[in-house]
Amino acid sequence: MKIIVCVKQVPASTQVRLNRETGTIIREGVASMLNPYDSYALEEALRLKETLGGEVTTISMGIPSVADLLKATLALGADRAILLTDRKFAGADTLATAYALAKGINRLGTFDLIICGKQAIDGDTAQVGPSLAEKLGVPHLTNVQQIKEIDGQRIQCLRLTDAGYETVELQLPALITVVKDINLPRLPSIAGLRRALSQPVTLWTAADVDADPNHIGLQGSPTQVTSTFVPEHQRQSERFEGDASQQASQLVERLSSLGLLGPREGGLSNDQH
Amino acid sequence: MNELILNIKNNEFQEYLRDESRSVGQAESISFPRTIGEVKEIVAHINQQQIPLTIQGARTGLAGGAVPRRGHIMNLSRLNNIKGLRYDAASNTFFLTVEPGVLLTHLRQALQELSFPTATWTPESLAALNQLQQQGPHFFPPDPTETSASIGGMIACNASGALTFFYGPTRNYVEAMRVVLMNGHTLTLRRGQQLVQKGRFTVQTEEGYTITGQIPELSMPAVKNASGYYLKQDMDLIDLFIGSEGTLGIVVEAELRLLPTPRAIWGVTAFLPSEAAALQLVRVARGELIPDLQVPHLPRPVAIEYFNCKALDLLRKQREHNPAFKQLQELRPQYHTAIYLEWHGASDAELSQVALQLGEVIRACGGDEQDTWVATTPYDLEQLKFFRHATPESVNMLIDQRRQTEPRITKLGTDMAVPDRELTQVVELYNGDIAASGLEAVMFGHIGNNHIHVNILPRSLDEYQMGRELYLKWARAIVAMGGTVSAEHGIGKLKTAFLQEMYGQEGIEKFRAIKKLFDPQNRLNPGNVFPAGGGE
Ligand SMILES: Cc1cc2nc3c(=O)[nH]c(=O)nc-3n(C[C@H](O)[C@H](O)[C@H](O)COP(=O)(O)OP(=O)(O)OC[C@H]3O[C@@H](n4cnc5c(N)ncnc54)[C@H](O)[C@@H]3O)c2cc1C
Repeated sequence: MKIIVCVKQVPASTQVRLNRETGTIIREGVASMLNPYDSYALEEALRLKETLGGEVTTISMGIPSVADLLKATLALGADRAILLTDRKFAGADTLATAYALAKGINRLGTFDLIICGKQAIDGDTAQVGPSLAEKLGVPHLTNVQQIKEIDGQRIQCLRLTDAGYETVELQLPALITVVKDINLPRLPSIAGLRRALSQPVTLWTAADVDADPNHIGLQGSPTQVTSTFVPEHQRQSERFEGDASQQASQLVERLSSLGLLGPREGGLSNDQH
Repeated sequence: MNELILNIKNNEFQEYLRDESRSVGQAESISFPRTIGEVKEIVAHINQQQIPLTIQGARTGLAGGAVPRRGHIMNLSRLNNIKGLRYDAASNTFFLTVEPGVLLTHLRQALQELSFPTATWTPESLAALNQLQQQGPHFFPPDPTETSASIGGMIACNASGALTFFYGPTRNYVEAMRVVLMNGHTLTLRRGQQLVQKGRFTVQTEEGYTITGQIPELSMPAVKNASGYYLKQDMDLIDLFIGSEGTLGIVVEAELRLLPTPRAIWGVTAFLPSEAAALQLVRVARGELIPDLQVPHLPRPVAIEYFNCKALDLLRKQREHNPAFKQLQELRPQYHTAIYLEWHGASDAELSQVALQLGEVIRACGGDEQDTWVATTPYDLEQLKFFRHATPESVNMLIDQRRQTEPRITKLGTDMAVPDRELTQVVELYNGDIAASGLEAVMFGHIGNNHIHVNILPRSLDEYQMGRELYLKWARAIVAMGGTVSAEHGIGKLKTAFLQEMYGQEGIEKFRAIKKLFDPQNRLNPGNVFPAGGGE
């Protein structure tokens, strides 16, 4: 089975800091890491390879230093890693990114399954996976929590929905995006690090993948950011003083004055023997 | 009565009668001073009333040090300002001044985010902060597992953690401190300024009172140690107060030395096929030469931690049955003993070389490079930390379960360390005794310092008694090996008998002579360190 995993580099911090004047993300001094959802995607691919055989290729579009991140995917057990890197790719929105990835994947040749994380934790759009499937003309399924069955022809998945779960079957080749509960990603071993040393990361430019300059980078990005702002969190706290029972009754009073508790003659007051 | 002093009535303040050792004491009153002035006022009141005084930090201690016998409790949790920052250009070093109630976790957060309560800071402090912002992140190396410990408590116990293997204990990072003595005076101690020479010292309090004393000759074990006073003929007087478990004075302010945060941090958990292989890896990693073993030389790790096969078995069970541990990585059947190693370096490239060398060492010791977890990002390091904490946590859960049927049992956790040369012997001793007794026990901890926590998990009161006897037997054996009965948790009130094993009556009398100099009425933290030391 030929499996492709799309990965993205994101800031290694859950607390993204925004520059209040410019509204852009402060990236200085913030280390980067593999988008956590992509690590679930890679893990699922590696597990499929372990049971079904085949090969796993990771692919990313990004700045040259993303090669280190792709090296790390090799250390985890990927067989091959591709980095689409070119100044012309810069400034891409989700559509232009999906286009570039599609071009890279076309150059790779045939595949059976593409796995993406459900979204990247920096942008949270969840758009690249589905857009990529459309560009490649293959069926896709988002928010997969379990691969129930898979063979050379089809894949059956348990998918997380707002209301619960649904089981969906797709014809291969296909693309799925996965959620966090699908597995627990492994950590690399020293053996993996050693193996990765001798495996190069393949670098492709826009020309290498025959990308149309009008569809990549800033030029290929119809998304317009009209304004950005830092959300103000309005959190108020109140402090109750006194001993435990005084504090408890103040809390009950406050909560019921906010209408957050049932009527006073309910269970609470009856408990006071 | 002074308005700072609150009466302890039936239901109020009950939680202040205990600490994490789960022993419970008694007291008549409690205070929560917010300033040094208030601390002094309370001390004056104590002297007037002639009652015992117990000092509390965050009450995370495991030896009952903060548990009162009776009298008054002074709880320092509200004396918790970060007061300023100093930059010493000559040594290119930053020093942070804190009050004792600051919690380690808050200190770390402030350092990480470079956010301090600067409203009351002096212009010098603000300039130093500016300098710190330019130089980049710094950290405070002492790392007890319990991050809700207070800085005062850490200093009082000379706390340590995994990183102590490389960075040393809390002692190494206390540059200066202010201590309120039982006579109500304040003593400022600064490293290099109050040196003991040939056993003699003279210090003057801020109020102008002179204390002259003689340090008794004592031979301390050459291991990581938190048992009894630190006594040397040529020493810095500040070191006497660090680790004295609040028996000599009340730490009301401390200046802490910071280090630049390393640019790269890598952690590796290596699973070895046998305990012997794991011990060999430990010895190589800390730089011992082992005959007939050809291995590359590794740079010194910052931490070397250990989990024996029973600890891994316990984790396997937890992972299977307890949802809280679902996020643990799979422990394959061939994983017998685990060793965690951590390196700090200038770049990932440098540490990746170290990891490859470590691989060679693992192979030479009979292990497999495949059976390793390498963490190179904060995210993955957090996973390995979760794994490390899962062992003590599982132990506590198990004991809580067993206490439901037999409330008199508790966990029996040892905290002893031996010199390097005794590592294999001490592990053999523990293994042999545990096997012979049929007790259930897990072992883990700071093996780089030969400091293994043996946790006996009694299933019945009988087993609990057996465990206690083993504990005492081990204490004696460890003292004979030149080790210590407490390497990091301190003696407190629960281990005074062990201290007696370690130093004998003669040694205890030497400590008592020091105690008399600073607290002649034995009013401060009575019951700590000294066996049967009442407040009377
Ligand atoms: C889950 C767990 C893990 C732990 N892991 C570690 C570990 O890895 N390493 C380690 O070293 N310890 C560990 N401990 C023990 C404990 O956290 C440390 O001993 C810590 O230093 C105690 O700090 P505290 O503020 O809670 O002090 P407390 O428990 O409040 O007091 C401890 C002693 O210090 C004295 N004291 C406190 N503040 C002052 C002061 N300002 N002046 C004078 N005396 C004072 C008290 O009188 C008492 O004798 C652990 C505890 C728990 C519960």
